[in-house]
Amino acid sequence: MLTVILCLVLLLPVAGAVMAGHARAEESRGIAVRAALAAALLAIWAAWSAFPLGYDVRLGGLPWLGREAGAGLFGLLLDPLATILLLVVTIIGFLTVLYSHGYLTEHNQEHHGTPEDQGRYYFWLLAFMASMVGVATAPNFLQLFLFWELTAVCSWSLISFYRSATSLRVGFKAILMTHAGGLFFIAALLVMFAQTGSFDFDAPSRMNENLRGWVYGFLLVAAWAKAAQVPLHTWLPDAMEAPTPISAYLHAAAMVKAGVFLMARAVSSGWAVPHGVGLLMAVMAFVTMLVALSFYFLQDDLKRLLAYSTIAHLGYVLLGVAIGAMGSPVGLQGGVLHIICHAFGKATLFLCVGAVAWITGSRSISRLRGVARVMPITAAAYFIGVVTVTGIPPFAGFWSKFMILAGAIRLPSPMGPVIVTLVLVESLVAFGWMLRVGQVVFLGPWTPTGVERQPILLPRSMKAALWVLMLGCLIAPVIGIPLVHRIAP
Amino acid sequence: MSATILKVAALAILNVALVLLLSPLYEGLLRKLKATLHSRMGPPVFQPFLDTLKLLGKEDLLTVQHPAYAVAPAAALASVLLLATIIPIGGAPPLAFAGDVIGVVYVASMSAVLLILTAFASGSPYAAVGGSREMMSLLSVEPVVAVTLVVGAMKAGTLSVAGIADWNAAHGPTISMTLAGVALFLAVQAQAGKLPFDIPEADQEVMGGPLVEQSGPRLALFRWTMWARQLVFSLLLVELFFPWPRTGVLAADAPLALLKALVVLVLVAVVDVVNPRLKVEQAMGYYLRVALSSLAAMAFAVVGM
Amino acid sequence: MITFRLLEAAAAFLIAGALGALITARRGRRGAWVSVVAVSGAAILMVASAVRAFRGGGDPEVSALPIRALGAALRIHVDPLSAVFLCLAGPIALLTTLYSVEYMGRFVRDGLTKYYPVLLILFLAIGGTVVTTDLFWFLVFWELMTLTSFVLVIFERESREAHRAGLKYFVWNQGAALGLMGAALVLWRRAGSFDFEAIRVSLATLLDTAPVTGHAVLFLFFFGFATKAGILPMGTWLPDAYTAAPTSVTAAFGGTMTKLGIYGLLRVFLHLLPLGPATTIWGIVIAVAGLTSLFAGTLSALKQDDAKRLMSYHVIGQVGYMFFGVGAGIALMQTDPLLGTLGLVAGLFHLINNSLYKPCLFLGAGAVEYRTGSRSLSALGGGLGGVMAGTMACSLVASLAIAGVPPLNGFTSKWLLYATGILGAESSFLLPVAALVAMFISIVTLASFVKYVAGAFLGAPVVTPAGAPPIRDVPATMLAPQYVLAGACLVVGLAPFAVLRLVHQAIVGLPSMIGAPDFASLLGGSNTTLALARDGITLASWAPVPLTAVLLILGIAAYVGLQRAGGVVTRRVPVWACGEEENPAELRYRADSLYRPFKDVFHGMYPRMPVVRFEFPDFLRRTLDLDHWLYQPLARGTQGAVRGVSRTHVGIPQVYLLWIIIGAVAVILTVLLVTGGAP
Repeated sequence: MLTVILCLVLLLPVAGAVMAGHARAEESRGIAVRAALAAALLAIWAAWSAFPLGYDVRLGGLPWLGREAGAGLFGLLLDPLATILLLVVTIIGFLTVLYSHGYLTEHNQEHHGTPEDQGRYYFWLLAFMASMVGVATAPNFLQLFLFWELTAVCSWSLISFYRSATSLRVGFKAILMTHAGGLFFIAALLVMFAQTGSFDFDAPSRMNENLRGWVYGFLLVAAWAKAAQVPLHTWLPDAMEAPTPISAYLHAAAMVKAGVFLMARAVSSGWAVPHGVGLLMAVMAFVTMLVALSFYFLQDDLKRLLAYSTIAHLGYVLLGVAIGAMGSPVGLQGGVLHIICHAFGKATLFLCVGAVAWITGSRSISRLRGVARVMPITAAAYFIGVVTVTGIPPFAGFWSKFMILAGAIRLPSPMGPVIVTLVLVESLVAFGWMLRVGQVVFLGPWTPTGVERQPILLPRSMKAALWVLMLGCLIAPVIGIPLVHRIAP
Repeated sequence: MSATILKVAALAILNVALVLLLSPLYEGLLRKLKATLHSRMGPPVFQPFLDTLKLLGKEDLLTVQHPAYAVAPAAALASVLLLATIIPIGGAPPLAFAGDVIGVVYVASMSAVLLILTAFASGSPYAAVGGSREMMSLLSVEPVVAVTLVVGAMKAGTLSVAGIADWNAAHGPTISMTLAGVALFLAVQAQAGKLPFDIPEADQEVMGGPLVEQSGPRLALFRWTMWARQLVFSLLLVELFFPWPRTGVLAADAPLALLKALVVLVLVAVVDVVNPRLKVEQAMGYYLRVALSSLAAMAFAVVGM
Repeated sequence: MITFRLLEAAAAFLIAGALGALITARRGRRGAWVSVVAVSGAAILMVASAVRAFRGGGDPEVSALPIRALGAALRIHVDPLSAVFLCLAGPIALLTTLYSVEYMGRFVRDGLTKYYPVLLILFLAIGGTVVTTDLFWFLVFWELMTLTSFVLVIFERESREAHRAGLKYFVWNQGAALGLMGAALVLWRRAGSFDFEAIRVSLATLLDTAPVTGHAVLFLFFFGFATKAGILPMGTWLPDAYTAAPTSVTAAFGGTMTKLGIYGLLRVFLHLLPLGPATTIWGIVIAVAGLTSLFAGTLSALKQDDAKRLMSYHVIGQVGYMFFGVGAGIALMQTDPLLGTLGLVAGLFHLINNSLYKPCLFLGAGAVEYRTGSRSLSALGGGLGGVMAGTMACSLVASLAIAGVPPLNGFTSKWLLYATGILGAESSFLLPVAALVAMFISIVTLASFVKYVAGAFLGAPVVTPAGAPPIRDVPATMLAPQYVLAGACLVVGLAPFAVLRLVHQAIVGLPSMIGAPDFASLLGGSNTTLALARDGITLASWAPVPLTAVLLILGIAAYVGLQRAGGVVTRRVPVWACGEEENPAELRYRADSLYRPFKDVFHGMYPRMPVVRFEFPDFLRRTLDLDHWLYQPLARGTQGAVRGVSRTHVGIPQVYLLWIIIGAVAVILTVLLVTGGAP
C-alpha cells in the first residue's frame, strides 16, 4: 500500500508535468496545482503511516552490476530523514505551484507577459518536484545521484526561464558549478563501488580509514556545490534571475537542501565520518556563514540578500551535520531539523519579496518604502520569516538552532564554546541586518514606486500560500522534532 | 496599656504645643536681635503673634479653587508639627515607635514639597521661580541633613532618633559627631530660609517666591510653618549632636533644649545679618562642599572616632 | 496539578483571546472587549494559582511537552516568588488592557490587528517566564516576550523614532538573550537537563572545577537580566523604546516586563547559585550596577521635556534601587543574614511598589496625551488639573509615591533599602554611602516629578483655542485603572504588612536562603509597626498608620483651628502679575527652565551609545568575491584555451596530416624517453 502511495508521490508530479507541458496556458495551471496538491497530500499520508518505523522497499535492480549490488538496487526508502525532506519538498512544492498560479499572470509588474509559456514553466517545476521526491526517497547513493543530476537540469531550465541574456548566462553558470560538484559525486560512487561493491548509504563506513576520508571528502565537495557553500557558492546569488517562486522553491527550500541532505545521509548512515572530514565540514560551514554574512551589507536587491542568507543557513545545517559527525548527534538532529525550519522560513521570505515585486515592480531595498501600508499580510509574513530564520521562539528556527548549539557545546572544549560564540554573534548580526532591512522596506510612510498595479491587491492563491507558510513557520518544529529524534546512532 | 498611650499622647501634645507656641516667639526674639545688630528699634517680641492673628482674620484670596490647594497650608504646618513628635525635646520622642531618622528626613521635606506644589499650583510665574529655587535648595540641603543623621546612626548602630541621642549623651563628644553637628548647623541656615540662603523667597527678586500668591490665613500658616521648621531643626541639632548635659528629668531637659535651640537660632540670625544673598549656583556649590566634607565625619565614624 | 490546570486555563484564555481579537480586530471596539474579557479571566486564574502557592507552598512540579534530545520539558511550578510576579502581572495586564480600549482609539491609521493579539501573547509570555522551572522554556518565554514587545514598540510603524527604538530594543535584548542561551548551554552540558534543580548542581560544580567559566556564565546571566531591566549602560534602549510604544503598552512594560530582569536575577543568584564566595562577588556587582543606574538614570530624567521620556529614565533609576537592594542583600546574606534578607525584601518590595506607581504615572501621561495630543511639558504649560481632576489626583499620588513621600508605598520600600545600607556600615563603609546616594536621588526623583505635575497639571487653567472642544477628563475605562493603581499605592503604603509578609515568604522560599530570619524576627510581628530589631534593640522603625493618623489630626486641627478659625471670606482672584498687564500664556514659567542651574551641573550624565557607522571594507569585498578573482578568470581562461584549440581546425587536409605526423613523433619520443629505450 505504502509502496503504491510513494510511487504515486513520485509519479503524480511527472504525470502532471507531462500534462501541463502539453496543455494550454490556463489549463496547465490547474493541472499543476492539482497534481502538486495530490502529491503533497499523499506524501503527508505516507509520512504519517511510515512513522515511526520507517519504510524500505526494493523495486528493481541492475543485474549486470553483480549479484550482490545489482539485486534490489532501486527502491524507495522512507526513514525519518527522508520523511523530513519529502515533506519539505512536497508541501513547499505545492505552495510554490499554488503561488505561481497567481504570480505568473499578466498582472505581474516585475516581468510583464509570458503567460503563454506556462506549460514549459509547470513542466519543469513539476519535473523538479518529482526529482526531489526521488532524491528524498532514494535508498542508496546511486539512485540519489541519478535524481540529483535531474534536479540540476530542472534548475538550469527554470533559472533561464525568462530567456534573457543574463538569465541564460546565470543558468549555465549554475549548472556548470553544480555539475562540477556532481563529478566529485561520481568519483565518490566509483571509489565506493570499487572498494565495497555496493552503493548503500553505509557502504563508505565499511571502507578503510584512508579511503573513507576520500569518499566522504568527495561527497562533501558535491554537497558544497549543490548547497552553494564556499567556495562553490557564487552561482546561487546569480540564480536569483529566476522567477521568484522558483528561487523560493529550488534555491531556498528544496534543491540546495539536497546537498545538505546528502551529507546528513552520509553521516547518519554509519556515523563513521573521519574526524578530519567533520572538522573540514565545520570549518567551511563557518567560513560560508561569515562570507555570506559579509555580503549582506552590500546587497540592494532583496532577493540577493535572501540568497546570501540561504547560503549562511545551509552553512548552519552543514555545521550541525559536522557536529554530528564529530560525535554529538544532537547537532545532526538540529541540522536536519533546520532543513525543514529554514525551508518554511526562507520560502516565506522569498514569496514575500515576490509579492512585493509583483505589486511594485521593484526588489530594491533603497527604493521600496513603507510597503506594509499597502500590503499588511506580506509585511507580517516577512517579519515572521525573519524571526523564523534567525531563530526567535516560538518560531521554527529557534528550535533547530538551539539543537545545533546544544550539539556544539557537547563537543570537547574549547571547540564547543568557540562554535557557540561564533554562531551566536553571526546570528545576532544577521538578525539585526534583516530586521533593519525589513523596517526600511516595510515600515515607514508608503512611497509609491510609480508602476504599481492599481488597486493593490494580491491574488488569492498568493495570499493563501503566504498564510500556510506563516503557519508552517510556527508548526514546523512540531512536525520535525519527533522525526529527528529518531535519527540517532 | 492605656497609660502608655496616654503618656505618648501627652508627650506628643507637649512637643507640638511647644513648637507651635514658641516658634513665633523665637522669631520675634530673632527679629529683635537683628534689629539691634542693625541699630534699629525693631518690632516688639510678640509681633509675629500679632501679625499671625491679623492675617488669620483677613480675606482669603485664591487664584485656584481646588480642595487640595485650599488645605495645603494646614497640611504643611501639620507636617512640621508631625516632625516635632518624632524628635526628642528634652525627653524621648513621643512617636519614637513610628519613625526613625529616615522618617525624620522624609517628614522634614514634606513641608517643602507642599510649599513647592502650592507655588506651582498658584499659577504665578514668580511663585514658579520660587518653587524651582526651593526645590534646588532642598536638593542641596537634604543630602547634608541625611549625611549627618547617617553619621549619627552609624555611631549609635541604630536608626532610632532616641537611640542616637542616648548614645551621644552617654558617650560624650566625638570628632565625627561634632563634625556632623557642625554640618547640620550649616544646613539649618538654609532650612530656616535665612540669608545667605533665602534664595527661594528672595523678596527683592521674586517677591516672596512661593508665597507671592498666598494671603490672609494661608500666608499666616505658611509663615508659621517656616518658623516652626527652623525651631524643629535647631532642636534636632542640639538634641542629637549636643545633648549634654542631660539630667533625665523632662522638666529640666526640655527648657535646656529649648534654650540651646535658641542659641543655635541666634547664631543663624547673626549669620543672616552679616551676609548677602548668594546665587543659586553658589549655594549649591557651598552645600556640595559641606556634604562632601561631612563625609569626613563618616570616615571618622568608621574608624571609631 | 490544580495549579497547572489553573495556569493552563489562563494560557487558554489568553490564546483564545488573542485569536478572538485577531478575528474581530477590524470590527471597532469588539476586539478590545474580547481581549479585556480574556485578560480578566487569565488574571483571575493567575492570581488564584498564586494564592495557592502562598497558602500551601504550591503544588508539585508538573512537566509537559518533553524534548528528549535536550532533556528539556515545560516544567511548571509556582513557588512564592513566581506567585508574587503572577499577582503583579495578572492585574496589571488587566488594567492596561482595559485602558487600551479607549486609548487605542487614537491610532486610527494603524490597525489594531497587530495590537491586542500581540499584547495578549506578551502577557502569556510574561506569565510563562515566571512559572517555568526549566531553563530552556524560560528562554523560550523570555524571547517570546522580547518578540511580542518589539512588535508593540514599533506599533506606530510610520514613525522613524519608533523604528529606531524598536531596532535598538530588539538587538540589545536579543544579544542579551543569546548570552543567556550560551550560559544555559554551558550549564546544560554538565547537567544534561534544563531542570532548575539539575542546573543548580551543575552550576555549583562548575564554579568549583572551572571558576573562570562559572563566572563567565554568571556574567552572561547578569548581563541578560540587567539588559532587560534597563540597567546602565545596557539600558540605553529603554528610554527610546518606552517612549515609542503606545502608552498603555509602556505601562505594561514598566509594570511587568522589565521587572522580570529582577525575577531572573533572584532566580539565578538565589536559586540556581548556592550561597558561597561567588554570591558575595556578584551581589556587590549587582549593587554597584544598581547604584550607577539609579544615579545616572534619575539625574538624566530631570532634564527631559517629554513626559514619557522623563518617566522612562525613572524606570532605569527605579530599577537601580531594586538592583541595589537585591545586590546588597545577596552580598550580605552570608555575613549578616538579617540585613541580607532585609535588602532582598526591600528590593522585591520596591519592585511591587514600582509596579503600582509606575504604570499609574504612564497611564496618566497617556491620558494627558490622549486629550491634548502632546507629551511635551513645556508645550503643555500646566493647568490641566482643573479639567482633568481625576487624572491629576492619581498622577500626584503616584508622583509622591515614587518620590518616597510618606506614608505612600514608595517610602516603605525605600526605608527598608536605606536601613539595609546604613546598618550595613559594619560590613562595608560603602553601603551607607550608597544609601546616601540613594537618598539624594530620591529627592531628585521628587524634583523631576514636581516638574511633571507642575508642567502638566498645575498652574493657571488651560485656555482651549476658539472652536476646539474643551478638554475633559478621560473616559471611565481609562480613569478606573489609574484610580485602582493610585489607591493601591496608598493602601500598600498604609498597610504594607500583608504584602511584606508575602514578599518575605517569596524571598525565604528560595533554595539558597538558608538561615534567613522569619518575618517576626526580621520586621516584628506587629500589624501596626515595622520594627527592625537585633538582640532586642530596635534598629529602625516605621509605623505608617499612627503617623498618618497624627498627621491627619494635626492637619484638621490646623485647618479648623487656625486656617479657618477666623471664618474669613474666600474670593477667587486672577494671578497677580505685579501690576503688569500681560497675556497669561506668556506669563508661564516653562517646564524646561526648571532647575536649570542644577541640571547644568549634571549635564550629560546619561551615557549615549553612539551608533557605529559600519563601512564594509572594499578590499575584503573583493577578496571574498570568488567570482571576481577565481571563477571569471577561470572561465575566461578556459574560453581562451578552447578558442585556441578551435583555431587549429583550418579545414586543410595537409595541415591535419602534418599534425598527425608531429603527434606521432611526439608520442614515440615520449615513449622512448619514459622507457629509456628498453623494450
